[in-house]
Amino acid sequence: MMLIKPNLIKLLIAIGVLLIIPHIAGLPTSFILIGFALLAWRALTLWMPKALPNKWLLLPLSIGLGFFVLKTYGMSLGRDASSSLLVLLMGLKLLESRTPRDAQAVIYMSFFILITPFLFEQQITIALYALSIFYLLLLALVINNTQSASLINPPLLRLSGLVLLQAFPLMLIFFVLFPRMIGPLWAMPDEQSAISGISNTINPGSVSNLALSDETAFRVRFNSPVPQQKDLYWRGPVFWETNGQSWTLTPPKKDSFEQATPLAKQKSDIHYTLMMEPHHQFWLYALDLPAAAPKNARLTHDHQLVLANKLSRNISFDIRSTTQGVITKLSDNDLKRALKVPDNTDPRTLALANNWAKTSPDKSAIVNHALKFFNNEFYYTLKPPSLGKNPVAEFLFETKRGFCGHFATSFATLMRIAGIPTRLIGGYQGGVYNKVGGFYNIRQADAHVWAEVWLADKGWVRVDPTAAIAPNRIEHSIDPSLQRINSDINFLLNPPEGLQKWVQQLKWGINSFDYYWQNAVLAYGPEKQLDFLSKFGILDWVGMVKWLAILSVATLLISLSVVLIRQKKADDPVQKAYLALCRICAKKIGLRFPHETATDYFNRAIKDYPEKTEQLKTLKTLYLNTRYGKGAEQIFIRSVKKFKI
Amino acid sequence: MPLALSARLSLKRFTKGEAAQHTHIKLNHRRIFILPSKTGLTLAIVILLMLVASINYNNSMGFVFTFLLAAAAQASTFYGFKNLSGLVVSLSKTPDYYAGSTGHLNLTVKETGERERWAIHASHLGQLKTFDLAKNQLLTIKIPIKLKHRGWYTPSTITLSTSFPFGVFRAWSPLLFKQAILVYPQAIDTGLTLDFQLSSKEQSGLQSNQLGTDDFAGLKPYQQGHNYRHINWKAFAAEKGLFSNEFNAEQSASIWLDWQSCQSLALEEKLSQLCFWVLQCESQGLEYGLRLPNIELAASHGEAHQHACLKELALFELI
Repeated sequence: MMLIKPNLIKLLIAIGVLLIIPHIAGLPTSFILIGFALLAWRALTLWMPKALPNKWLLLPLSIGLGFFVLKTYGMSLGRDASSSLLVLLMGLKLLESRTPRDAQAVIYMSFFILITPFLFEQQITIALYALSIFYLLLLALVINNTQSASLINPPLLRLSGLVLLQAFPLMLIFFVLFPRMIGPLWAMPDEQSAISGISNTINPGSVSNLALSDETAFRVRFNSPVPQQKDLYWRGPVFWETNGQSWTLTPPKKDSFEQATPLAKQKSDIHYTLMMEPHHQFWLYALDLPAAAPKNARLTHDHQLVLANKLSRNISFDIRSTTQGVITKLSDNDLKRALKVPDNTDPRTLALANNWAKTSPDKSAIVNHALKFFNNEFYYTLKPPSLGKNPVAEFLFETKRGFCGHFATSFATLMRIAGIPTRLIGGYQGGVYNKVGGFYNIRQADAHVWAEVWLADKGWVRVDPTAAIAPNRIEHSIDPSLQRINSDINFLLNPPEGLQKWVQQLKWGINSFDYYWQNAVLAYGPEKQLDFLSKFGILDWVGMVKWLAILSVATLLISLSVVLIRQKKADDPVQKAYLALCRICAKKIGLRFPHETATDYFNRAIKDYPEKTEQLKTLKTLYLNTRYGKGAEQIFIRSVKKFKI
Repeated sequence: MPLALSARLSLKRFTKGEAAQHTHIKLNHRRIFILPSKTGLTLAIVILLMLVASINYNNSMGFVFTFLLAAAAQASTFYGFKNLSGLVVSLSKTPDYYAGSTGHLNLTVKETGERERWAIHASHLGQLKTFDLAKNQLLTIKIPIKLKHRGWYTPSTITLSTSFPFGVFRAWSPLLFKQAILVYPQAIDTGLTLDFQLSSKEQSGLQSNQLGTDDFAGLKPYQQGHNYRHINWKAFAAEKGLFSNEFNAEQSASIWLDWQSCQSLALEEKLSQLCFWVLQCESQGLEYGLRLPNIELAASHGEAHQHACLKELALFELI
């Protein structure tokens, strides 16, 4: 019985470790540790063959680990469960492996594990990492199927690389043309994904922890003149309901969609493409105020853009926003919702707002009063003191230090008490322009909360109390790299100089590359595929399958002919020239008889074809020299080319 | 040599190979076939599962690596084909063997170009040999064969195959060669004593018998080529048929290994016994002749004579 080469086992263990590493962040630590332990055990057996478990130990171990997976995840075989199970199975199979056939199975399993990290994250770095493991796996296959005992075998290393390169054209054809609209084949269990960015509840402090994150929330490329930085309000979920402590999002109801009024196209409209990172929420962000819903999203009556499913992959949207104020009517129901003040509101808060309402001539004056109030006594900080049960009152009258969440929530509460219909808006403000890629990068650090008040003559008007306290926040973006806890907030104020500038250029470059990666590769889903292929006249899956077949067959034929032509080329050039000469002579003296040697044939030609005797004699000498002596092959080949009847 | 359409489509070409060749065979696309191996089908299932996962999560990178794996498997077929194509294969001469022994086919494989070949299997009737080939290398592979019966042994299909590079596809080339191997009867001493026909003057009992013209030794059926002077006309006149007189030469020390001596044995046993005697006589340096029904080899000795005798025994009543 053939055994696996020890070097191959080492390679497979190394690949196993590399395969588990990307899962460290996503899977429970226990599974990661068991995975590593199984690999370590197999590594140990290389030096201590007796430590290799027999099947009476492996069988209970496998059953036990299977139960462990079952206990952790239940019966659902979703992303996390299958990744964990595969990692354990790979370790167990490697422990059981004795023969090359087992090794083949381990390698196949590794190919599957290779794609599991992408179910969690699809960054380009992970893709490149996976590509290098893919190469190692191909090498492992080659080592397993040859007699090479060494891993460092240059021809085999080169071969694995060549196969990988040659696989790319066909892969690209399939990637572009394989119909994406099929699927999902069955509903996947709802996995808990780390939600980043604005969530569906807002309390005063909830946004400040985002200010440290340099992660991209979405990217925007403008197709029309770009608004000023201070007008870049990216409007997201609209909050109507509060219990005094936090604001909660109510999913829009059916009539909210029915009452939605898309706005007519205008010249001043802003057009842009928004490329959303998967944030695992139902809503979309759009420049204040989205005029109509893009494809795949619906508009609500309070101008939210809502998706049919939680966004779990990169998708880009073409959105149109209006800059003009829109006067809308307020329904009775909405009026009630927008004026509802929580029962447990602190009397001090009530007194303050009621006082404003009494002293001000109209509603805009109340708003201005409030903004002035914030501007006079409050301080904008990233790390405000923590608040207790009654956050609005504690912030307004005690701590007076806060982030946008504090200002917006307390402002909205005050306005409602003063009788102005108010709602809270979650979203982002600003963004960093990437000069290399020509797009705006909106980061989690740009997360922002503001309010909208309803004024009878103007409709819903955006009011950002943060702008009253910290105009810098609105005119410049926060610089997360310079943030320190409990210190002043740093803004991206002055263009950097010297080395800093180069660092920024590099960052922009990487970010642009990431943008194109997201836009071209990751966002290539059903919508984008149809969109892209319709430019070539492929409109449905029938067309896709047809072109898939045509192009892959064409690719196969091309590569096949390359292989065969190169094969032909490898044939002896002298022999080719000789055969060509024979064909020429055959016109005069007939074909070479099977029993005739080359010399015989030359002699016959010399005798039967006297006009060219001299030339033929030379050719004969040249040919015989190339075959049996030290003749120059090129001279013979050139002479044959010159020879004519 | 182009193939006729019927030969081209014949299923035998895929398993048994094209018509047998006397000379060398150069492997080309006509002789090399390629199909997924068993583990290749397993890989197909794995790729299918990966595709299902990618479809379900609509995961772009999942698709990329699934398709990359499938495309790499496809690209490996070219390397499997290239690993076999261009090889020049022939059967080289083997010594003659005795029935019941294990012999070898000497398969010569030549890489004429600059390519390196990896893990090629040569198989013949279940016997498998694996080899690598370097640039411009000529390699002789000995494949063991079981020789059960005397006569001409024609090798069955020799299959060169390779699962290189990934073990996912198997490329193979079935080859048939005409070169036959002569198998002598098995040498067995049944314990029968040789019925000597020694010359009258030989008293010592030496097993030596030489055909001569001096002393009348007996009659034997006339065969074409016999000296007509030795025809026994008396017998002919008595209507007994044509017989030649046989004479033993004086001082002859030669032995007749005669079919008649082993009347009591079955056909194959007779041949085995005769074979044994041939080897015995040769090893003792005696002159011996062989007499089979309708065949007679004059007494002589030496390698060529032994071979001639053994060949007659090997092919007796087979042709």
